[in-house]
Amino acid sequence: MKAFDYAAPTTLEDAVKLLDGPGSVALSGGTDLISRMKDYVTSPERVVYLKDVKSLAGISGDAAAGFTIGAGARLSDIAANRALAEAYPALHQATVEIGSVQIRNMATLGGNLLQRPRCWYFRAGNGLLAMKDGKSLVKAGDNRFHAIFMTDGDALFVSPSSLAVALAALGATVTVAGPKAERTFKIEELYQAPKRPDESEHTITHGEILTKVTIPAGAGKNASYEARHKQAQDWPLVLASVNLGMNGETVSSARIFVYGVAPIPWKSTTAEAEIVGKRITPETAAAAGEAAAKGSAPLSMNAYKVPLLKTVVKRAILAAVGNRYWEV
Amino acid sequence: MTEHDPKGRGAPGGASRREFLRGSGVAAATAVLTGQATAILDEAQAAAQDSGPKILKGEVELTLKVNGHDHACTVEPRSTLLDTLRDRLDITGPKRVCDRASCGACTAIVDGEPVYSCTTLAVSCQGKTIETLESFDTGEHGVPHAFCKDDGLMCGYCTPGFVTACKAFLDKNPNPTLEEVRKGIDGNICRCGTYVGVLQAALDAAKAMKGA
Ligand SMILES: Cc1cc2nc3c(=O)[nH]c(=O)nc-3n(C[C@H](O)[C@H](O)[C@H](O)COP(=O)(O)OP(=O)(O)OC[C@H]3O[C@@H](n4cnc5c(N)ncnc54)[C@H](O)[C@@H]3O)c2cc1C
Ligand code: FES
Ligand code: FES
Repeated sequence: MKAFDYAAPTTLEDAVKLLDGPGSVALSGGTDLISRMKDYVTSPERVVYLKDVKSLAGISGDAAAGFTIGAGARLSDIAANRALAEAYPALHQATVEIGSVQIRNMATLGGNLLQRPRCWYFRAGNGLLAMKDGKSLVKAGDNRFHAIFMTDGDALFVSPSSLAVALAALGATVTVAGPKAERTFKIEELYQAPKRPDESEHTITHGEILTKVTIPAGAGKNASYEARHKQAQDWPLVLASVNLGMNGETVSSARIFVYGVAPIPWKSTTAEAEIVGKRITPETAAAAGEAAAKGSAPLSMNAYKVPLLKTVVKRAILAAVGNRYWEV
Repeated sequence: MTEHDPKGRGAPGGASRREFLRGSGVAAATAVLTGQATAILDEAQAAAQDSGPKILKGEVELTLKVNGHDHACTVEPRSTLLDTLRDRLDITGPKRVCDRASCGACTAIVDGEPVYSCTTLAVSCQGKTIETLESFDTGEHGVPHAFCKDDGLMCGYCTPGFVTACKAFLDKNPNPTLEEVRKGIDGNICRCGTYVGVLQAALDAAKAMKGA
């Protein structure tokens, strides 16, 4: 990796000042950034270490008021928090499957949400859109782990954060601090599919720091379910997070987000529409899974993700109401 | 100091240590010390508050607390904890295998938690407690002995990482089930496939450690 200057501020104000420059980049747990620097995909002039900014860490709140999780909270802190696990099983289930013990001890919520895509063409230095001589390396090459939605665009990687999907289903917001005023917005607005090579997949601007994530109270029945290659400590292939508002036995509102199928956390409006107004049974959950696949357009090597998508959506819906039939 | 830069593209740090001290004033100059010097550091920092946090460049003097001892060394901000331990401090228990946070061979225990030292910057470990397997009990109550007894290794390259991950796990989970061990040390990979022996060693070490 290239040499860089390093600073470890202890206050948010200092961190913002230190990050205010084109060559500066934030470092939290390093599990993504350091590997990218080793591969020369990212070569900053200055690295600003955020883990000494104590105000960024910490988890507060309760089920009645909702929770605020600092961007510096480690994934192991989130996984170990019982109140969070009880209120938001969708978040807990997604967190405990991430990486390994060591990864969860190092990695932070902010870093997880802002980790860069794992597309191997991007990681090999071909840029996010992976175009060469006007042609897509992804379309012509090995695209088994790439997107199955929005594939008429040029961004074919999949958004890499498991937690983005769970938190989007839970209706979370993120707060960002920077040289300009602090702003808070819906977590799904943190992501975009880049259209030009110089566009980012994140909507925050250079020098901005993610400070916290807020999850509103009153989540419905929620769960996450993922399919992965064996039990490997790798990213999931497809992961669905659901959050269902109930009116008695009937679903009155649904938020269903899917990981592993699009360059953004994918909101499955078709699955949502299919399950609203229904009672949850194996049949209605399966119908929502079928609906989730509507509009998918796989690439040459990843049609296998379509049945996975149907199954994870079905199982996440059933898990939300405590039916884990595949475990018995 | 470009020896860990296989592609050779890294420019050396630039400013020499002397220039660094001259250029960055007393707060930065004292900031690279630890231990006894913290009081002086606090004072200097208070005096220099307006100048903001220090920026480390080029070569940095660092004191790392490894296995109960303070070790002074000179590193660059980009030096990983793994390379610093192995190449600066000659503490070679942690191994460099994937160098990308994926295999566990480099596992070290920092402030009581197992982490991948290949993906941790040494400069971020100042003031923290670092343990490597060099400090472990090698007697019959220790984790290394159980690996030996249960044949938990073949080529041995993953073994230091597994032993370290196991020790960190058992310190917090003294009575684990097999399933808990599986989850608890899932951040380590064995190319030779010695998992059966490793899992048995972890269970046996849990029992043996109680006799210590
Ligand atoms: C083997 C392996 C398996 C994995 N499996 C999964 C998985 O299943 N699911 C999953 O979601 N992830 C997975 N990951 C990814 C891992 O979760 C992320 O690398 C990690 O969460 C990143 O957090 P960090 O604190 O280490 O971030 P860093 O590496 O420090 O930073 C990541 C990025 O975020 C930026 N950043 C960090 N904090 C902030 C902040 N507060 N404000 C603004 N920018 C910031 C950095 O500049 C950098 O660009 C895996 C990683 C590995 C190595
Ligand atoms: S060498 Fe650090 S995880 Fe493989
Ligand atoms: S013993 Fe050879 S890699 Fe594990």
